[in-house]
Amino acid sequence: MNITIQEENGGFVAHLNGRLDTPAAIKAQQDMVPLMENADKVITLDCEALEYISSSGLRLFLALRKEATAKGGSIIIKNINDEIKKVFMMTGFYNLFTIQ
Amino acid sequence: MQHHLTLPNDINTIPQLGTFVEGICEETGVSMENTMQLNLALEEAVVNVMSYAYPEGTTGYVDIDINTVDHRMCIIISDSGKPFDPTTKEEVDITLSAEQRPIGGLGIHLIRNIMDEVAYERKDNRNILTLKKYLPNSLK
Repeated sequence: MNITIQEENGGFVAHLNGRLDTPAAIKAQQDMVPLMENADKVITLDCEALEYISSSGLRLFLALRKEATAKGGSIIIKNINDEIKKVFMMTGFYNLFTIQ
Repeated sequence: MQHHLTLPNDINTIPQLGTFVEGICEETGVSMENTMQLNLALEEAVVNVMSYAYPEGTTGYVDIDINTVDHRMCIIISDSGKPFDPTTKEEVDITLSAEQRPIGGLGIHLIRNIMDEVAYERKDNRNILTLKKYLPNSLK
């Protein structure tokens, strides 16, 4: 999975592209360090090109969410597809994030 | 029809599960949504084995067998690692706030949500996890 991160309006937008399975999540943890460091701002995770997420990926999202809370920032999740939305609902994650 | 895959306890082989499941689901006429969910349940179960069954630094294997009979898909994940029953893990409380949520525990929760039957047994020194899902709209 690829992540591209851009600064936008004082916050950050990350575009997630591909499958966030367990090995991808291990790599993504490194790629997301800039987001964790800037978790005091508004971080948007654009998931339009995200095809799949496993619990390892959810765990990354949760870690980012906790960091944002600790630092006073916020996480917005955008454009998740129906399958991923179902996974969010199954795990209660749908209510943990601002989903657009 | 029987399908089999053996993977070593190396997380980097996980993407092979996707290809394996997708092939079987396409042949069986399973919907995209169910295909994705089966892939997810299988990944969660296999990652558990890779993470816990064998001592760190040793190579061990996980066997995956899938068959579909009468619109019922049966997935058996087995290994010869130490006794480990993933079904005894506590239920995750999905109503907790983000601050209260522990980072772990989601894997078995997803498996239980996705599959219709989840059963574990220890037999002949092997862990055997059997997952079943009813797929009424599949071709077989």
